[in-house]
Amino acid sequence: MGIEMQYFMEGLSSALQPINLLWVLVGGFLGTIVGMLPGIGPATAIAILIPITFGMNPTSALILMAAIYYGAMYGGSRSSILLNTPGDGSAIAATFDGYPMARNGMAGQALTISAIASFIGGILGTIGFIILAKPLAEFALKFGPAEYFLLFLFALSATVSLSKDHMVKGFIAMMLGLMLSTVGIDRQTGVHRFTFDIPQLSEGIDFLVVIIGVYAVSEVLYNYLNLDWIKNKNKLGRLWITKEQWKRSKWPIFRNVPIGFLIGVLPGAGGAIASMLSYTMERQLSKEPERFGKGAIEGVAAPESSNNAASVGAFIPMLTMGVPGSGTTAVILGALIMLGIRPGPLLFEHNPDMVWTFINSMLVGNIFLIIINILLIGLLVKILDTPPRILYPLILILAFIGTYTLSYSVIDFFILIIFGIIGLLMKLLHFPIAPLILAVIVGSEMEQNFRKSLIAYDGVLDILLASPITVTLCILTILSIIYPFMLSWLKNLKTHQA
Amino acid sequence: MRQASFLFLLTAVLFLAACSSDTPSSDSRSPTDDAGEAFNFPTKEIEIIAPATPGGGWDATARSMQKILTDEGLIDQNIIVVNKPGGGGEVGWQYLKSKEDGHFIAINSSLVITNHLLGQSELTYEHFTPLAILSTEWISVAVAPDSEFKSGVDIMEKLKADPKSLKIAVAPSLGNNDHLAFVQAAKLYGVDVTQLEFMIYESGGDVVTALLGGHVDVATMSVSEAKEQHLAGKLKMVAIGSDAPVEGLEDVQTWTDQGIDLVFPHWRGVMGPPNMSEEEVAFWDETLHQMTESEAWKEILKNNEWTPFYKNSSETVAFLQEQTTRYEQLIMDAGLAD
Repeated sequence: MGIEMQYFMEGLSSALQPINLLWVLVGGFLGTIVGMLPGIGPATAIAILIPITFGMNPTSALILMAAIYYGAMYGGSRSSILLNTPGDGSAIAATFDGYPMARNGMAGQALTISAIASFIGGILGTIGFIILAKPLAEFALKFGPAEYFLLFLFALSATVSLSKDHMVKGFIAMMLGLMLSTVGIDRQTGVHRFTFDIPQLSEGIDFLVVIIGVYAVSEVLYNYLNLDWIKNKNKLGRLWITKEQWKRSKWPIFRNVPIGFLIGVLPGAGGAIASMLSYTMERQLSKEPERFGKGAIEGVAAPESSNNAASVGAFIPMLTMGVPGSGTTAVILGALIMLGIRPGPLLFEHNPDMVWTFINSMLVGNIFLIIINILLIGLLVKILDTPPRILYPLILILAFIGTYTLSYSVIDFFILIIFGIIGLLMKLLHFPIAPLILAVIVGSEMEQNFRKSLIAYDGVLDILLASPITVTLCILTILSIIYPFMLSWLKNLKTHQA
Repeated sequence: MRQASFLFLLTAVLFLAACSSDTPSSDSRSPTDDAGEAFNFPTKEIEIIAPATPGGGWDATARSMQKILTDEGLIDQNIIVVNKPGGGGEVGWQYLKSKEDGHFIAINSSLVITNHLLGQSELTYEHFTPLAILSTEWISVAVAPDSEFKSGVDIMEKLKADPKSLKIAVAPSLGNNDHLAFVQAAKLYGVDVTQLEFMIYESGGDVVTALLGGHVDVATMSVSEAKEQHLAGKLKMVAIGSDAPVEGLEDVQTWTDQGIDLVFPHWRGVMGPPNMSEEEVAFWDETLHQMTESEAWKEILKNNEWTPFYKNSSETVAFLQEQTTRYEQLIMDAGLAD
């Protein structure tokens, strides 16, 4: 412990050097902005910056890139709350209650609680990193194909269960997402599926295009159909949260840190799943689940602390094993290798100064970010005052630019428009959108892991009973489906008795 | 106040526009003519096509070239890198083919041969002007540290008795280098390679995780992906497909040392559009040769665990012919094509 403490102090003083402070600030600010813009995620932003990092000291480069990553977790929810257009997969859950809050005139409070939740998620995640990095990396290795398959299955069933009153519609949306996720080259056999000889489709449909389409584009279309809504001015209430709101959010924020953190550590899971599971859990734990989806403040707080903790957790497999935990950490890993740093089991021994400076920079960075984000609230809520004739075309422009930066392909524009229309139809017909998105995000991995488990085990029962983890996940999956029904059944029972 | 938010969004749009042009701002140099030569090339911006998303070997090669060609003053014109991912290179190479201009070049690898052999693409290297092979990685076979297998031959012995007895991890697709290198080693040892059970992962990182977690028995991947774990004792490399022991990994025997006659490079090269002029080819020969001689290039190779493998344009054509014959045979052996 003595030596760790010494490393920690050295890392802290190194992170506080002016140059490193500057990089944290620049990265955090850039991250907040790219996070807000639909489609331009942290991975794209960092990839564009790679040539700039070439000449940098590797530690500064890591600090900068990491700050962009967790900065984007702060920024992502801004556009979810204000415009119902998540900036990234991990910001989707923030639309569920954040956008209703904004429409109820509580935009400022929604932005405030999400900044606070992000801050607590980021700081506690970093502390978790310090204490648990090594054992958690070992735990993550236990996840084989069977475990991943069931984790994704659980995430999907939990999301479908959100649409309790429209379970069938939720199920249909999920199936549509799963079907879409089969487009592309099948990895296990090399067969092209539903690609129609268009090479751009061979790597599948990018889930970010789907997100931008069904949220940003369809939101614009929807508002053009309902231009009257825009006329009733949003009364901007207070910006700061009330004591009552903090009381509601406090526990959701804290108890979702470990969930987000753990899911972040698993390579391949990530912020979208973490925030979705946290939201579901909060709703199921809530005494008043009917408030969710109508502007419950804890519905913003829970996923926001969770996805920030996940972004910190994602660094664990990357730094301790050299295995990226998310798309963004994959790009960071590539950039570090170019600089002559090869993350892996020896990094903590060979470059402890780098690791500890990085850890401390995350503490500093989160403090910067909560200040930036709270200061920005006053400015951001003004977006709601922007006349629709300016705002909606601008969102469309951003949606198209964001889509183009994903793979520099014009075909994605058509996919974007198609999903804009699909999203609009789903809204008009009251289909939940989240199951579709989550299915597109996890579908392909879920299928690949299922097929790998079929090679590894002798049949479905063996897969389900493969390990304590799979059994736990099976039970959770079943619970997530029947719990909402059990609740209403118990309620009915009570009312009948009374 | 409306103006404030409008300005904010406008700034955001401009910021994006600036980013997505992908042009480092420092590169705005004035064109200078190559005074000593009668032939004037390049006369405008050079575009290096990385037919993949940022983060992988193709992108890294392209961005390293961009950096070094500019820093070393080998090319005075502005150089940009354009990512065109999709179809295992197909999208980027189709794009290159549509350009009738030597200012466009693209990174390639054996996929430019195997995509065609696997029936996934019309294109082969013959549709382009091969300019150079730049570097290679070597492919290794690794097992868990407590595995019963002490060498590559031990693995092959087991597979010869029962080809389905081991789960072999590979990424990211069947028919790629890592897969075919293993197939060839097995074939040379007399294993029935059509029966092997491969599990295909998304990336080399996932292959390492699967092996570390004990979810597969054997993995075939680049030396660079396994080296750190091997040195840390988390996994054990048992064979490398190189022509000589790899620096820093002298304890791992090559396939040749183990009596299996296999040297299997995982190379990366550069090609231009079809019908380039002789002068243009000569320019790239000279420039790329100088680039590979630079200290900065050697440094990048070392950091990435890549090995120098430079071949000029005419050597490259001969090399690609030889590679095509080899891959054709291997893909047939593996049962991936008839």
